[in-house]
Amino acid sequence: MNQMTPEELEKFIHRQLRDLPARTAPQSLEARVMAAVRQRALVPWYHKSWQYWPKAFRMGFLLLATAAAGAVIAAFHLGDAGINKSAFVTEASQRLGILSKIYRVAVWMGDIGSQVFASIPPVWLYGGLGVVALCYASFFGLGAAAYRTLYRNH
Amino acid sequence: MNDDPPVQATILTAPPDFTTFMRNYQNMVYSTAVRLIGNETQAEDIAQEVFIKAHAHFDNLATSPTAGGWLKTVATNLSINHLQRYRKRWSFFSDLTRRDDDGGEKEVEFAAPDTFFGGVDTTERREWIERALRQLPEHQRVPLVLYHFEEMAYGEIARKLRVSLSKVKTDILRGREALAQILMRSGTLHESFER
Repeated sequence: MNQMTPEELEKFIHRQLRDLPARTAPQSLEARVMAAVRQRALVPWYHKSWQYWPKAFRMGFLLLATAAAGAVIAAFHLGDAGINKSAFVTEASQRLGILSKIYRVAVWMGDIGSQVFASIPPVWLYGGLGVVALCYASFFGLGAAAYRTLYRNH
Repeated sequence: MNDDPPVQATILTAPPDFTTFMRNYQNMVYSTAVRLIGNETQAEDIAQEVFIKAHAHFDNLATSPTAGGWLKTVATNLSINHLQRYRKRWSFFSDLTRRDDDGGEKEVEFAAPDTFFGGVDTTERREWIERALRQLPEHQRVPLVLYHFEEMAYGEIARKLRVSLSKVKTDILRGREALAQILMRSGTLHESFER
């Protein structure tokens, strides 16, 4: 048997690989692509990313965004220039009252939760965490075993 | 129900031209994906994704002389992304052992190239090579395909696969050796291979 240097081997393999014709695509590919294209075309533009929006809407969106940014900057400028701050805060607190209610409910729920948590004996707590960790490790191990025995061999 | 004019226009006008475009390139795209991934079903999924992207850029691609290159690049990138995602997901579960080869070059004992496929017809030989390529482990097949089919340089392959240059060189060398060995075995066991 002859010996091949790495260079000869490279040339030989290159020749063999480059000599291969293109693989024939499955017949189902064309139908699949066209079905996917049709399905995508049926998705309305407002469910697609910005680049697929009609030009008029893109322009309108840009104008609106620019106007909104300008309004925010103008508001800061006016505020800085001496707007009646106490009247503004009163107005805002009236209009955003629902937010403060939500905040109070969230704080109350947090307090209840921390009281319940504090009342759990540490043994139960650590035991529970241990059981959760054990279950997680078991399912992870089962998944790995299933993959190694069932999936990988196909 | 959507009756926006742009959408309707896409449905009515794009498919005929795009179908021809796709028929021209589908074998090339599929070949790229299947040789990199080594799995026909997954390669078909990748090819589908490539053509969906092509459809989104069809206005530019339809008349572009570099459309083939664009499709090949997208097919290569999507295949590599797919493999990297898959590898990350399953690396813990699988035992994809990677030999940390020394990378040293040595002479390899094989039959001389001219007698390698003695008495084997072209179709059969090509079938063997495709099959041998599929049998290579992923870390050898991917850089080998990128080097020999996509004509990428070692450095470019290393960057694309996010591995060291020496690893790419070693994997390609080992891939060639493994490929030659598989082919040699196939040649030796010609009768039983056919069954």
